[in-house]
Amino acid sequence: MDIFANILGGMSALADPYVIAFMVGGFLVGTFFGAMPGLTSVLAIALLLPITYTIDVVPALVMCASIFMAGMYSGSITATTINIPGAPSSMMTALEGNALMKKGFGANALGHAALGSMIGGAIGAVLLMAFMPIAAEISLLIRTPGKFSLVLFALVVIVIVDKSNIAKGFVATLLGVMIATVGIDVLQPIPRFNFGTETLVEGIDIMPLVIGAFAISEVLMQSETWKNSLSSTLEKAKDLRICRRDFLPPREEIREIGLFAYLRSAFIGYGIGILPGAGGSMAAFVSYAMARSSSKKPQDYGHGSREGIASAETANNSMCGGAFVPMLMFGIPGDPTTAIVLGVLVINGLQPGPRLLENQAELLGPMLGSLFFSALILIPLTLWLFGPWFIKIVSIPKGLLYTGIAVVALVGSYVATYSIFQMSLAVIFGVLAYFMRKQNYSTVSMLLGFILGPDLEEYLRRSLSLNDGNPMVFLTNLDSLFFLALTALFVWAILIRKPRKSSAEMRRDV
Amino acid sequence: MADRAPLLRTGVLLPLFFLIVTTVYLAAAFDIRSQFAAPGEMSPRSVPILMACLMYVALAVVFVGEFRKPTADGPAREMLRPALVIVATAGYIALFRPLGYWLATLLFTSALFGIFHFQLRKPLMFAIYAIGVTALFYGLFAGIFGVRLPTLAEGVF
Repeated sequence: MDIFANILGGMSALADPYVIAFMVGGFLVGTFFGAMPGLTSVLAIALLLPITYTIDVVPALVMCASIFMAGMYSGSITATTINIPGAPSSMMTALEGNALMKKGFGANALGHAALGSMIGGAIGAVLLMAFMPIAAEISLLIRTPGKFSLVLFALVVIVIVDKSNIAKGFVATLLGVMIATVGIDVLQPIPRFNFGTETLVEGIDIMPLVIGAFAISEVLMQSETWKNSLSSTLEKAKDLRICRRDFLPPREEIREIGLFAYLRSAFIGYGIGILPGAGGSMAAFVSYAMARSSSKKPQDYGHGSREGIASAETANNSMCGGAFVPMLMFGIPGDPTTAIVLGVLVINGLQPGPRLLENQAELLGPMLGSLFFSALILIPLTLWLFGPWFIKIVSIPKGLLYTGIAVVALVGSYVATYSIFQMSLAVIFGVLAYFMRKQNYSTVSMLLGFILGPDLEEYLRRSLSLNDGNPMVFLTNLDSLFFLALTALFVWAILIRKPRKSSAEMRRDV
Repeated sequence: MADRAPLLRTGVLLPLFFLIVTTVYLAAAFDIRSQFAAPGEMSPRSVPILMACLMYVALAVVFVGEFRKPTADGPAREMLRPALVIVATAGYIALFRPLGYWLATLLFTSALFGIFHFQLRKPLMFAIYAIGVTALFYGLFAGIFGVRLPTLAEGVF
């Protein structure tokens, strides 16, 4: 209960105009990056990561949280208006929202997307704050072998979530773990893989990896494909007119969707957010599929279902709250955005875990508050103020945009440590990530492997050294056994179990 | 259509690169010496060796998949523009300290505008945008966040 009170107390920092400026600024940056096809909130946070070296941790975390929320919501803007999801989590919204747009209800679809995002984001943030003390209690019960099995569970789930590319996901994750082993050993003061140079003794910082994998690789990808991207769609988009008064969804439409549907989607999104590697796309898809299967109007789906938009958008924004749980409690990020937020914590010398909540809740309170207020206030406010001009976002010349991103990425990687070496590393990782993305190796897996690798090694070695090298310790500890069983369950459910046939398919077979 | 031999496509070359990196990594792992080792304790090289072995297994699966796959890369000319971006970026890093932020960034933005074919037919707009981008991010980093960026005078003297 103390933790909850401390979090609420810490939220008072949001009354500081300086912090509010970072929240609003972050939200606008997140909206821009989320709405622009090809750009994501992950890229926005990656580009701003070096700036967090020069500002206090509270505004940095507040800004990251508002970017996360904005990026998740604003993907629905171009998904609805020009049928190009600004973010992958808005695929379902594109399906339904653009159908409504073609029928002349574009503003109404954007209104439903914003309302769903607002409800989902706010509920996700409340659930995060409410369950945080319980999660902290639980995390205190987990001992070193259990922590190893938990990190292993996270890495396995991250790899197997993309069923079509398991081997490549495994390679990317291992690559991340291998990069993380450069530098001083996790338990002994011995430099590893520095190849005789002093520069590598301190290890590789997260910042050049993030900038390279998400910003520089994106510039390289776009330099290859930018010409054929949006020209024809933009011609059509020029004629679109959106009025502010149409953004407000009529009460009867909201009643038809129903409070239960919003709540169910919010809980689904939050639950999926907790799973490592799942992310907003899975939250939106599962919620959408569930809403469709229990809908009174399933025939509307695919032709402009407001219920479909609400379910997908509520879930993907609620996911934001869930994704923070494993990151704050165990240092295990649920998705790339929280992985970078973890980097912000580590840069500022903060170690995730229950102790962080107990001792420094005043630092986390504003971040959790930022999630809540971004959803509840900034989403509707931004739609109201800037909604009619949202469509113009995509018409920014790509040459100008990606040149700007390249300059921010490179200068940003320099200013963090005033090191040309960091700049060079960012480019090396950028080129590597570019080729990896072209060949469907997940750069997110590489980043999560890099972040979780040192924990995996430390917990493995500590567990074994405390038990005379006996690996049975992982099976005799109950918490460890639980996470190993959970890992096995996920492997079975995702890789081995055959999907059940629907009743319609079974009837057809008969 | 493929215009390169199956063995020279990035689907094969990239895991081959990983294979070489892993081999160098494994060789370096064997050189790591532990300061002390209690009974049952894993040494600092144990996990890297384990990771390298797992990487070999994963790469073997990737190679099998790649050789079974009939697809190949697109035309090599697709790589020209990314290659130019990499060259421009390498040049920017090399010149960042000697020329200072302003001149190096101005040259870099001009190079990228050229690669992205941005405002090439309007030299005045090209110059205004290049100066504008350089000034905008100078304002962001040096003005708002108080970061000290290198200057031409520092590089020369």
